Amino acid sequence: MNASVARATPPKELGFVAKTMLLARKDLLVEARGKETLPAMLAFSFAVVLMLAFTLPADSSIRAEIDIGPGVVPLHQVLAGFLWVTVLFAGLIGFARGVEVERAEGALDPLVLAPLDRSGLFASKAISNLLSIVVLEIFLIPLFGLLFGVNLQRDWFVLWVVIILVDIGFVTVGTLFSALAAQTRSRELMLPILALPVLVPIFIAATELTSDLFAGADMGTVATRGWFAILVASDVVFAVVGALAFEFVVER
Amino acid sequence: MIELEDVRAVYARTIALDHVDLSIGDGITGLYGPNGSGKSTLLRVIAGLHRPARGHVRFDGAPRRMSDESLRRRIGYAGHEAGLYARLSVEENLSLFAALWGASRDRVPVVLEQVGLRDRARSRVDELSAGLKKRASVARTLVCEPDILLLDEPFATLDDESADLLTAAIKSWRAPGRCAVIATHGAKRLKAFADAAVVLRRGLVASDRRYDSDEVLR
Repeated sequence: MNASVARATPPKELGFVAKTMLLARKDLLVEARGKETLPAMLAFSFAVVLMLAFTLPADSSIRAEIDIGPGVVPLHQVLAGFLWVTVLFAGLIGFARGVEVERAEGALDPLVLAPLDRSGLFASKAISNLLSIVVLEIFLIPLFGLLFGVNLQRDWFVLWVVIILVDIGFVTVGTLFSALAAQTRSRELMLPILALPVLVPIFIAATELTSDLFAGADMGTVATRGWFAILVASDVVFAVVGALAFEFVVER
Repeated sequence: MIELEDVRAVYARTIALDHVDLSIGDGITGLYGPNGSGKSTLLRVIAGLHRPARGHVRFDGAPRRMSDESLRRRIGYAGHEAGLYARLSVEENLSLFAALWGASRDRVPVVLEQVGLRDRARSRVDELSAGLKKRASVARTLVCEPDILLLDEPFATLDDESADLLTAAIKSWRAPGRCAVIATHGAKRLKAFADAAVVLRRGLVASDRRYDSDEVLR
């Protein structure tokens, strides 16, 4: 087909959702070929869990209690904290790498010029980040279950509801701040400095709710806790703020 | 078509452009000047990739608003870097950007042929030499069929044969109502087919002329 024929039949332009999904698919394809981000996240998580497993007494189980000096705390609280600290830092590694993909070869410039609302750029990056975090958790949660005797039986579903709510807040904040940090010289240092203060409430809520679940709480109990409402509110606020603010972050 | 009014652009404490007043019409404008004269910054300001500290940029008389998607659709920019995804093939990159710009994917093989990359269509960008990446970068802009083409040193790192191919591709893109600004510090090749010339020195416009009227505007 020659150029004049191609120009004579312009295609129907993709809509917002299709372009957003196209960019998210591009990110996943780049990761599938490069294998630069997810293996690093998984290796980090595995190392942390392994260290924790060796640190705790050999017969530790989710129902045990450990003495941490000033007092005795149930192990499920400690494990919930460790689970989310692992996800937090592994996620930050992934977000920083995700922006590097755009920076390499200057691909961010044509992306910023693309005729797509900037909220679409934000959403595409957030979707690919979300998938990376979910894959990490699919690996991490069973590992926790196996090593520490976490057995939620029918409440696995409730745990995943909490996990997805945490992940949405985490990736929206992480995506926004990784793009912001990318504009600075010391970008890898800047991402945790910028993102961690904002992420603190999300991860406190995550730890509290997960701890409840590990202790045997059901969906009804979890859903009525104030932390659950904080999590839902954080997701809505950060998703809206991220989508609106991304335009100012990517324009220099 | 493109007007710049008293534009100043700065990087930290360095003034890259100052008091730039330009009117860039249809056709191909060569942007010349030594290293550090502000050519790349001027292209980035026109593209909307660098916000000027002062002054205005207008397209067809209307102030440029980068939130305007229809304006962004009209712009094709290839900078110093390729602007491509290293892990994707040349063809995948071009198809991606064609889809984003709403251009026909049928354009991909056509443009690849024009820039002499047909046989490298399935090569990953990180497997290409600097010259091939430069051609792929220009192909990425051409496949989107922009009205406004902004190219930064498109002939750098190219051998004569590749530069000839690129020249032919740019000439075939040229049409009424379209304008290109091409920055280079080697004026010889571009002067043979450019319609106008702008010379920058230390961030200031040193000269500005159109060849057709031979009118020296500054």
